[in-house]
Order: sequence, then structure tokens, then C-alpha cells
Amino acid sequence: MNTILICRDCDTVYRAIPLRLGDVALCRRCDAVLARHFGANVETGLALVCAAAIFFTIANLMPILSIGIAGMDTEANVWFAVRSLQRGWISVAALGLAFTTFLIPAVQIALLLWVLLFARVGRRAPGFGPIMRLLHHLRPWSMTEVFLLGALVAIVKLANWVPITAGAGLWAIAALATVLAVLGRCDPESWWSIAPAVKT
Amino acid sequence: MTVLRQSLELGLILCRTCGLAVSRASLKVDRRCPRCRSRIEHRTPFSTELTVAWLIAGIVFYIPANLLPVMHTSGLLGEADSTILGGILEFWRSGDWDIALLIFTASVAVPFTKFIAIGLLLFTVRKNSGWQQHQRAALYRIVEFIGYWSMLDVIVVALTSALMQFQALGIAEPRAGIAFFCAVVVATMLSALSFDPRLIWDRRA
Repeated sequence: MNTILICRDCDTVYRAIPLRLGDVALCRRCDAVLARHFGANVETGLALVCAAAIFFTIANLMPILSIGIAGMDTEANVWFAVRSLQRGWISVAALGLAFTTFLIPAVQIALLLWVLLFARVGRRAPGFGPIMRLLHHLRPWSMTEVFLLGALVAIVKLANWVPITAGAGLWAIAALATVLAVLGRCDPESWWSIAPAVKT
Repeated sequence: MTVLRQSLELGLILCRTCGLAVSRASLKVDRRCPRCRSRIEHRTPFSTELTVAWLIAGIVFYIPANLLPVMHTSGLLGEADSTILGGILEFWRSGDWDIALLIFTASVAVPFTKFIAIGLLLFTVRKNSGWQQHQRAALYRIVEFIGYWSMLDVIVVALTSALMQFQALGIAEPRAGIAFFCAVVVATMLSALSFDPRLIWDRRA
């Protein structure tokens, strides 16, 4: 844990005090969050990332939504949604969607898994520094929870016209959004403190 | 009441990437964070310029995003192009006021709030204003938080187009508006990320 905290939003300096479970330290000047109690250790972190990897796999293998009319079926998951936007130059939207709901979550999970597996055996993962920097910059662009809300809106939108059913993928997306949110609260800033400070 | 001290007074500086407090003296030797190797700056270079540039880009993209259709449907009921506002009105008329409100919030209210809020932050920082610093800091955090929810419409159109592929009954296809809308989300997010909130509290004498 850092002994000195500096507010990200207003540059005020604080001496860190130990936080208990559920505690949040706020800046006295601007109310920004300075620190949260960091409950996760390497084991819980690893368990969460493994769960995220499993949910991510299910969400991309199983249909999230499906429609069946008179013997004809269509299914959709994250990847199908991306593919449906590939149409001439509109494909830039497909690219945006692919990055925010597929590639970036996948990279986040893979990199955290890599870093934590090494931390589990008391080692600093190769590329630790650049990986942590990358994770920090990717965080705002990971939009799994928005995809979940989008899928729910699509259900309501289409339910008036066609028989639409939610597949296993929808539950997996909901679980993935939850796990990623928990991992996001244990932000990369905090992951630095669990990494053994051994030679790079 | 303890005195709140700024990092500059104490000879410290924050690495915004990894959160480490670094001594300013060490930056004279190496401008990078000793822990994560990110470049450290007293204030984000060109913060307001980049924020303005991305904000303008976002506003410009917002116009075709609303004027152009985002989706084209064809089927038994004929062909139709729908815009974002048209889609919201359709939900509203068919009685799904809650969904209409949700899409309105994500697609209209959120982008507008971002344009106005970022504009206000830029204007007050430019004026070197001490007005409502506390509220403006909160406003910045709201803009940061609501940032990506506008992607909702892009996802809804993508899922609808993926599902509605029945030659006989109906086919939905994305249209150009949705690409502009995606660009609005990216540009406004980059604008908010470029803004250095510490500028709210910096007051030149």
C-alpha cells in the first residue's frame, strides 16, 4: 500500500491510513475517491479472473438471444452483433463494437490472468509494467455492462413482433459484467501493491 | 482543521497511471514514473486543447448521427428507415414509455449532458474561475461515469440486425447514422479523458 496518497482530481496530498472492509477514503477538498479497501489478494483475484474467463467463453459460444419463427431460427451473440454491422464503411461501427465488447474484455482477462498466475508463484510476470499500464488505459473502454443493457432493450424492442428468447449467453454476459465490475473496483492501481517487488 | 497541502508544495507529484507519489526532484533526472515507467507531467500537456478538439468532433458527428437513419427495415409491413429520435417516438407511442425513456437517456440526454458539461468545464477553466469548484469537480466525475452508456443504441441496432434476418418476415440492416453515433461516443469519451480535472482547482493569482 502506498503510504502517501495524492488526489487524482485536485492534487491534494494525504498520509494513508489502514482501511477496513467496505471503507472508502474520499478527498476532503474535492470528494474524489482516494482509495478503497483492497479486499482481493492474489487468490481471490485469480478466482475472479478465472470466473470471468469462463463466463466470457460461454457468452461467446452460446446464443445471447434467439428468435424462432415457423422453423426458421436466428441467433445472436457479441460476435454476431459485430458481424451484422459490417457493411461498407459502416464497418467502423463494427470495429468500435468489436473493440469495446469483445477484444478489450478478452485482453483484460488474458492479461490479468497472466499477471496473477505469476504473482501466485511469487514472481513478477514478464512485461508486468507495460501490462499494468495497458490495463489502466483499457479500463474506460470495456463495455460489457452496456452490452447487457443493450441485449435487454433488444428483447423488449423485438418481443412485440417476434417470439424472442434469452439464451445461456445472456446469463453469462450478466455474470461477466458483474465479475468485471468487481475486478474493476480492484483497479490496476491496487494490483501494483500485490505484485512482489522483485527484480524486473 | 488540518491544512490541505498540494503536491507541488510538498515537492511531490502523482503518477496518474499507477497512483504512486513521486518526488519532483527525481523527475529532473528521469521524467518517468520509477514504478510503472509512464511519463509524469505536472498537468496533462495540451489538456484543454485536446478536450476542445474532441468535443467539437463529437458535436459535429452528433448532427449526422441524428439526421441519418440508423436502421433500415424491410418486410411484410413495407420498408422503413428509422432514426434515433424516430425509434424513441415509436417506443413512446406503442406504450413502452420506460424503454423510450431509457434510450432517450442514453442517446440524447447523455451526449447533450456531456457537450454542455465539458463545455462548461472548459469555459470556467479558461476564465480561471473559482466558481463552484466543488460542484464542477463532481460534474467532471459524472461526465466520466456516464461516458460509455451512449454505446447502447449501437448495440441495440447491431443485435436487431443480427436477429432480424427472415427473408419472408423482415430484415433489419444498419445504416450510416449508427457509425456516426459510434464516433460521437468515442469522441466524447476521448474529450472527457483528455480533460485534466486538476485544472479546476488551479487558480493563477
